[in-house]
Formats: sequence, C-alpha cells, structure tokens
Amino acid sequence: MVEEIVRNLKKDFRVEFRNRSALNLAVAFAGITTLAISLATGGVPFPANIQSVVLWIIMFFCAMNGLAHIFVREEEERTSLFLSLNSSHESIFLSKLIFNVIFFLVLQMIVCPLYIFFLQLQIKSPAVFILTILSGGICISAGTTILGAMVSKAGGRGSLFTIISFPVLLPVLWVAIATTTRSLEDEGYSNYGNIIFFLAFSGVIIAISFLLFRYVWVEE
Amino acid sequence: MKILKFVYVLMPISIILSFMWAPSAEILGNTSRIIYFHVPLAWGGVLAFIVSGIFSILYLSDKDKKYSMLHEKSYNSAQIGMVFTILATISGSLWSKLSWGSYWNWDPRQTSISVLLLIYVAYFSLWSALGDNSRKGRIASAYLIFAMITVPFFVFIIPRMYPSLHPDPIINTEQKLRLDFEMRITLMVAIASFTLLYFYLLNLLNRITVIDYYARDKQDEK
Amino acid sequence: MEEKKYTIRIEAVSKRFNRQHLFRDISFTLGTGTSLSLTGPNGSGKSTLMQIIAGIQSPTRGTVAYSCNGSEIPKNEFFRHMGFISPVLNPYDELTGYENIIFSAGKKRSEEEINGLLEKFQLYEHRDKSLRFYSSGMKQRLKYILAVINDPPVLFFDEPGTNLDRSGKDILYSHIESIRPGKILFMATNEKEESSLCMEEYRIG
Repeated sequence: MVEEIVRNLKKDFRVEFRNRSALNLAVAFAGITTLAISLATGGVPFPANIQSVVLWIIMFFCAMNGLAHIFVREEEERTSLFLSLNSSHESIFLSKLIFNVIFFLVLQMIVCPLYIFFLQLQIKSPAVFILTILSGGICISAGTTILGAMVSKAGGRGSLFTIISFPVLLPVLWVAIATTTRSLEDEGYSNYGNIIFFLAFSGVIIAISFLLFRYVWVEE
Repeated sequence: MKILKFVYVLMPISIILSFMWAPSAEILGNTSRIIYFHVPLAWGGVLAFIVSGIFSILYLSDKDKKYSMLHEKSYNSAQIGMVFTILATISGSLWSKLSWGSYWNWDPRQTSISVLLLIYVAYFSLWSALGDNSRKGRIASAYLIFAMITVPFFVFIIPRMYPSLHPDPIINTEQKLRLDFEMRITLMVAIASFTLLYFYLLNLLNRITVIDYYARDKQDEK
Repeated sequence: MEEKKYTIRIEAVSKRFNRQHLFRDISFTLGTGTSLSLTGPNGSGKSTLMQIIAGIQSPTRGTVAYSCNGSEIPKNEFFRHMGFISPVLNPYDELTGYENIIFSAGKKRSEEEINGLLEKFQLYEHRDKSLRFYSSGMKQRLKYILAVINDPPVLFFDEPGTNLDRSGKDILYSHIESIRPGKILFMATNEKEESSLCMEEYRIG
C-alpha cells in the first residue's frame, strides 16, 4: 500500500512537471489575483477583517482553480482506467490527497508573501497567523480532493467544482477569516482552539472521503 | 400509505386554525400568523434533507439491491426539501422585515437555512452534470453524505459567529414571543400537517419514478 | 508453485444503452487453459462485452463471477489478476515507456525481464522516450507489454493487432501463442489471424 502510494505520487509529480501548463496556470492565477487586488485598491490600507476576508477569498479561488486538476487530468487524458487497473482505490485517494495538500501549500507560499508585501500587512501575532494559514489550507485541500474526483467523473466542468465545494468549505472559511482577523489585530493572541477545529475538521473530512471514495471511483 | 391521504383533512384544519382560532400575538399582531407556515416549512426542509441523507446511506450500503432506485428517491426528497426551504426562507424574511425591520440580517437561522439551500443547489448541480453517467446515483449520494458530515460543524460555528435576534426555541414564554395554549396547538397541528404533506408528496414522486422505470422497461422488451 | 485454476462464469449478461439492447442473455464459463475469441460486426458490442467480463463496466442484468481454485475472487480484486489491452486503456503520455512499465509492475519484475520484453518488441532503444513521441504502432506494442508484464492469469485483448505492421503482428502472435497455455485468453477481434489463435469462437450480433 505504501509502496503503491509512493509509486502514484512519483508518477503524479513526474507527469505534472513534464507538462507544466496546468501548474503554471494555477501559479499565475494565484500571483495575478493577489496583484490585481492590491493594484485595484491603490495601496489604501484595509481594516483587518477586510484584509483577511480578501486573503481567504483569493486562496479559495486559487484552490478552486487548481485542485480538481489532478483528477480531471486522468479523465481528460483517458488514463484513469490504466490508473485503476494498477492501484487500489485507497492508494489512489491517498496519493491524490497528498499531492493536493502539497500543491496547495505551494500556492499558499505564493499568495501569502505577495499579499503581505503588496498590502503592507501588519501581523501582530505571527504564530497564530501562520498556523491558521497552514491548517486552513490543509482543510481546503483535504476537503476538495474527493470533490475533484466527483467533478472529473461529471465531465470536469470548472464551475461545478466551485459550486459543490463552497457549502462544504464554508465552516473552514468562516473560522479561518475570524482567526486571521484576530491574528492581525491583537498582539499576543494565542488562542489555539480554532487550530484544533481545523485539525478536527480535516481529520473528519479525510476519514469520510476515504470511506466514500470507492463509490465515486470504482465501477460496480 | 392510506394514512398519507389524511393530509387532505389536516391541511385545511391547520389553515383554518391558524387564521381563525389562534389569537394574534401581543406585539407582533396578525403578522405572527406567519409562524404557522414558516416553522413547519423550515422543519420540512430539514426533514427532507435528513431523509435524503438516510436514503443515500442506504443506497450505498445496499449491496444486494434489496431496495430499488433509492438514489432517485433521495433525489425526490431533496426536490421537495428545496421547495420547502425556499418557501421557509421567503416567509422567514417577510416576517423578519415586519418584526425586525429588514429582510435579511444574517441571523444564525438565516445563515443556516442559506447553507442548507447552498447544499441543495450543489447537489442538484452535480446531479444534472452527471447526466446519464452510470455512477450518477453513487456519486450524488456520496456527495450528499459528505455534505451531511459537515453539518455538525455548522451547528458548532454559526451561533458563535453571528448574534441572534431569533425567538429562541419554538415554544418559549419570554417577552419576545408569547405562545398561548391555542397558538401552541395550532403550531403543532401545522407542523404535523406539513410533515404529512412532505411524505405525501414524496410518496407521489416515488411512485412516478417507479412507474417511469417500469414503463421504460416495458418499452424495451418490445 | 502449485498450479492455479481460474474460472470465469458469465451468467445471463445483458447490456442496454438507454433504450437499446446491445446484447441479451449471454452465458458461458471459461477456465484456465481455454481461449475464446469474440467476433461480430462493428457496433455489435464486442468491446462492451469484454469490458463487462473484465469488470470495467457493469452489465444491465446478469452476473460475472471469478474464482481461483474454487474460491471466489471479489470483483475489485480481480484487476490484479488480469491483463488488458483496449483502445480505452491508455498509458501516461508524459512518462517514458520504461516509466510506464515500472508504474505498472512496481518492483516485482527485474530489469532483465523488462528489457527482454522491450527488446522482443523492438522498443528497447525507445525506452527512455516520452510516449508523446511514440508512433501509434509503438504505443500498441507498449500496451501489450503493459498487459503481460505482471504475468496475469487472465488476458483480455481488444484488437491487439491494431496499428501494427507485418513484423509487429508476427512477433505479437508468436508471443501470444507462447503464453497462451496456462491462461484464460479473451480476444475481441475481426481478424481471422487473431481469432485463429483461440480455441473457440463466439459470435455476437
């Protein structure tokens, strides 16, 4: 099983890096939306809560733009049968999950520094800020992995992915925005309850996705 | 399923009770009568969602195909639930305008009901996007279960994020909304009749689904 | 190693697309050592029937059951016991031929075995080329290698000879001939040469 997951991950990274167009698009999208926001505001500083709302909206749409790709590609290139003949559905799900988590972390690495730099964010509690970004990002990428598989089976339309992801990710976005606001405003804010919420959410969502994935992936 | 026909009797009774028998509330006046429609509709929307979810779970766990077309039945239930939820939202925001002064103010209940609407919309979008894919039922059911799992998180968060104006539990004796004995009885009857209406409609839609299926089967045999 | 006897039992399988029956009530049983060719005109459902037997599609009615030495193999485990060639099965274009083989075989096959097969099918010098640059005949040969690399006991070949030149076909047929004993072989084809490799013929449509 572990060997299969590693094999799948290797393959996914190889394929993605050899044909970088999708990766490039997602990265460019992340950079451009962040830039566009700061250009549009012309450097006027926002209040903290608006800053965190905009930051999470950008990240949400970056996720919507990039995270379904790993499954949609298998359908578009008609390789999904080859994939399922060679790996069990459990290892397919786990390897795609790991890929998405890493991929979204990379996107966040692009969005957040650019955003902080261009909008001159003053972060009062950096530890909480960073932890919120990371754990919220894990929630988003973990929650959307199985939805990406569903979308790929439904023909891979981009807007469908956003529509079905939004209600599921709403609690994450709410809590993430609230916590980010606090970390921008309050000095020495050290309430980690929300981080625990994120971990609980991603744990539950991964477990249920793992159970449901076979119904989405396997033809019976 | 004879008992479902009882809705023909109960629904008029509940309408008559709510307009003629129940007294108007002290402060809210006659507008308070919306409660006899708003609360049962909201309850029906949630009930339909739960029933859809249960059907979906049964559909996915039903290996020997003991039940037929559960995914279609789950879809039927969601359709009724969507209508109930939209009506509850409209009646709720009308009432909100009359008693709080604005149609919408992100009260926790309003937030929850819009989340419920979003889930329904997502489910229907997925359903129609799947077209005649052979996995349609399985994927749509999996999505509904997936969405249901996130509901407890909403229940946990929403009250913390949004302050409430809502008259708390349905029956309370606080200043905000006094429910007299007559009001309570009327509300109970209304809830019962809308529940019955939901099951009546569901039964109807399910029968249509089954008939449609067999009609198509018959045609094929020719 | 002890000889393993595999059996595939197809019972009253029907398939219908929307309102049209592709085929109805097909039943037969096959065991290790037998081979069957499915023939029939275009659109008669050869490929679909083969995919149903392989468990890739589900039948509208009827059952397909697999067993090994009398004990049943669950449907989702059966993929591990079969090799499959079909136009709907595509390896990764971005990977090289060798990487695709490794993806399929893992560490179960030694370098020599893989290279031996590659050489036999004249792909050795192309092993490190991305599939994007393969010709369709080369791809077809690679698909064959991918199907047999794990030495599966059940083989499904949907027109294995497509896009192959004369010499490619000769190599392919002689290889099929050499591995056929001890396997279950299904072949969907309309080529006389290919169906004559099988012991029995089943016509549909």
